[in-house]
Amino acid sequence: MSLVSVVYKSVFRRSSTFALAIVAGAFGFERIFDPTCDAVFAYINRGKLYDDCKATFAAQGGAEEE
Amino acid sequence: MQGVAARSSGLAQVLKATARIVPSKVEPLGAAVIQESLPFIEKPASKTHSNYALASQLPPSGFLNPRVMSGIGVSCQYRLAHTDLQVPDFDYYRKAPKEADDSIEGDNNRKAFTYLMLAGAGAPALYGTKTVITQFVSSMSASADVLALAKIEINLDEIPEGKNVTFKWRGKPLFVRHRTAEEVDKEAAVDVGSLRDPQHDTDRVKNPEWLIILGVCTHLGCVPMANAGDYGGYYCPCHGSHYDASGRIRAGPAPLNLEVPYYEFVEDNLLVVG
Repeated sequence: MSLVSVVYKSVFRRSSTFALAIVAGAFGFERIFDPTCDAVFAYINRGKLYDDCKATFAAQGGAEEE
Repeated sequence: MQGVAARSSGLAQVLKATARIVPSKVEPLGAAVIQESLPFIEKPASKTHSNYALASQLPPSGFLNPRVMSGIGVSCQYRLAHTDLQVPDFDYYRKAPKEADDSIEGDNNRKAFTYLMLAGAGAPALYGTKTVITQFVSSMSASADVLALAKIEINLDEIPEGKNVTFKWRGKPLFVRHRTAEEVDKEAAVDVGSLRDPQHDTDRVKNPEWLIILGVCTHLGCVPMANAGDYGGYYCPCHGSHYDASGRIRAGPAPLNLEVPYYEFVEDNLLVVG
């Protein structure tokens, strides 16, 4: 009995477990999809984000306050 | 029966009718392989799209060959033969016998693939739905600047004992009173049953030393004056309501005690209201 057959019998055959599998899949998808999108965004906007120039701002802000 | 038969025989010429079988008008889909063994009866010269065209195909009979439209024993049937329909050949789309796996295992594999595709589409769809709903629902909640204004931080070190300080919080005056031990003892000793709005002092303060109340008179919304009135707490100049040092109504027209907002002591000397 192959793995695919086991998965079919244990998960896909019943609607309850099938729906559960979709929900679990959505969770997993979110955990992969969101960081990937964020990484792409950060890559496209690298050098412009606050995290990239936080050190510079802190240095300037500290100097101005003093 | 006899008479009817005789009569109908006399009218045989008029009543003569036949149900002709004509080819169906369904054109075969695609290039059907026409087998020569199937006989075609006849091909009508013109396409029949209207009732008149259909009726003109009825058998002629009678005087000057009028078309028999209806009558006793007249068949107006116009039958489309369906036996000459050519079913397209789907063999090209079928799996070759050696590819087809008819075992239970193969059946399960095919179904598992189908359901996997369904689940694979369903999971991102569910994620997308959740994201959209979350976005719309979270747009109803207060924004960060509103939330920032909703709270006020108060440094308690700056308020000496026995002093009442007024802050502006959510557009309303907020009283923060540093009570003396004497006031605390006095308010704790008040008989709750004798009050108009019965509330014990310990229910109104988290730390007996500090009284935090809204400075809005429960009568008509004036701002009471601190350290005034007959009970050593607050006095409303508008209509003469007297509150004690716990903000409870003791005399005058106001029906309720001064409201205590939600607050918490974050650190020893830092109070956050809201």
